Amino acid sequence: MIAFRRSSTYITPLIFFLIVVTFFPLALGPQESLLSSLAPGVIWIAALLASLLAVETIFSEDFRDGTLDDFFISLEPSFILVFAKVTIHWLITGLPILVASSIAAIILYLPLDSFIPMLLSLLLGTSFMSLLGALGAALALGKSAILSAIIVLPFSVPTLLMGTSVITSSLNNQDFSGFLMIMGAMLALGIPGLCLLTVEALLLNYE
Amino acid sequence: MLPNLKVENLSCVRSDKAIFDDVSFDVLPGHNIEIIGSNGSGKTTLLRTLLGLITQDKGEIVWLDDAGKYHNYRTFECLYQGHQLGIKNLLTVFENLNITKHAKGMSQEDIYKHLERVGLSNVNEFASNISVGQRKRIAMAKWLLKEFKIYFIDEPFSALDDTATLLIEKLIKELNAKGCSFVITGHRPSGIEATRVEI
Repeated sequence: MIAFRRSSTYITPLIFFLIVVTFFPLALGPQESLLSSLAPGVIWIAALLASLLAVETIFSEDFRDGTLDDFFISLEPSFILVFAKVTIHWLITGLPILVASSIAAIILYLPLDSFIPMLLSLLLGTSFMSLLGALGAALALGKSAILSAIIVLPFSVPTLLMGTSVITSSLNNQDFSGFLMIMGAMLALGIPGLCLLTVEALLLNYE
Repeated sequence: MLPNLKVENLSCVRSDKAIFDDVSFDVLPGHNIEIIGSNGSGKTTLLRTLLGLITQDKGEIVWLDDAGKYHNYRTFECLYQGHQLGIKNLLTVFENLNITKHAKGMSQEDIYKHLERVGLSNVNEFASNISVGQRKRIAMAKWLLKEFKIYFIDEPFSALDDTATLLIEKLIKELNAKGCSFVITGHRPSGIEATRVEI
C-alpha cells in the first residue's frame, strides 16, 4: 500500500525505460534492420538501469522511520521480510518494465517471434536484479542513493549477457533455452543466497 | 517470581571505547527498569543490544521461557519503540495502527478505541501532517494492541506535554498491573516506579 502510494517509485523507472528506448530510433533513424539488431542490448541495458533507479528505496524509508527495527525485533524470520520486500520491489518496478518492454520491442522493430523469449528473459532477469538491488541497498543504507546502484552494476553483467543472449539467439533462430536455464538457476540460487546476505548486510547497519 | 530477563555484566565496546560497561539488572514481571544517562551515554545502544540488534562484547543476556528455563536467545516477543517510532508518513493515523501485525483480526472499532484512549481523534489525518507529540501517541496506541511481557521504550517522555506524560505514566501502571514490564531510558528519573540503572 505504501509503495503504491509513493507513485514516483514505479513511475520513474517506467518513464526512464521508455525514454531511453525511444531515444535510439530518434538518434539512429528508423532503419528497421539496425534497430532490431540493437534491440536486445538496448532493451536490456534500459531495463537494467531502470530497475536500479528505485533500489535505494527498498529499505531506506523503513530504516529511517524505525520500521526495520520492528521487523528484526519480531520473532519472524528476517529472510521472509527481505524476500517480501524484494517481491514488492519487483512488482512495482520489474513488472511495469516487463509490460513496457512490449512497447519498446515494437519501437525497436523486434520481430514478434522474439517477444516471448524477451519477456521470459526480463521476467527472470529483473527478478534477479531486484534481489541483487536489495543487497546493494542494504550495504549502502543511510549513505548516498547512487552508491547502491554502483555496488550492484558490476554484478549485473552476467544477467545482462544472458538476457541479451536469449533475445539475440531467438532473433537468429537459435536455441535460447540454455541461457534461460542459466538465468533460472541464478534466480533459484539468488533467492536464498542473496536474501540471507541482505539480512546480514542490514544487521551491519546497527553495529 | 523469576525475572523474564536477566542482564549480567553487560559491556559494549566500539572503536576501543566503552559505550557502556558492566551493566546488570533483572526484569521482573510487572516491574520497570529505567536506564538513566546523558546524551551519547549508550542508552539506545543498550536497548538494541538487549534485543539482539547489536552484539555485546562481554556479559550475559538471558530470557525466561514458558517452562521456566533460561536461554541466551529471546524466547518471547517484545515491543521496542525507538526514537523513530516506526510511523509511516504515507499512512493515516488509523492505517499506521491497522497495518501492524498485532492489529491483525482486530475490528476497526477496537483500533479507534485504542486511538481514542491515547487522545487521538484525527484518525484519517496523514501521519506526515501531525506533530511529534501526536506521532508519539500513535506509538503509545501500539502498546495497547497486545500485552507484551517486556516493553523497551527509548526516551518515552521526550517531546511530550504534561497530559501525554501523565497518560504514559497511567498506561505503564495499568500494564504493570497485568504483569507487563517496561525497560525505559531517559536523561533524568521519571515519575514512574522503577529500578534505576545509571550508565
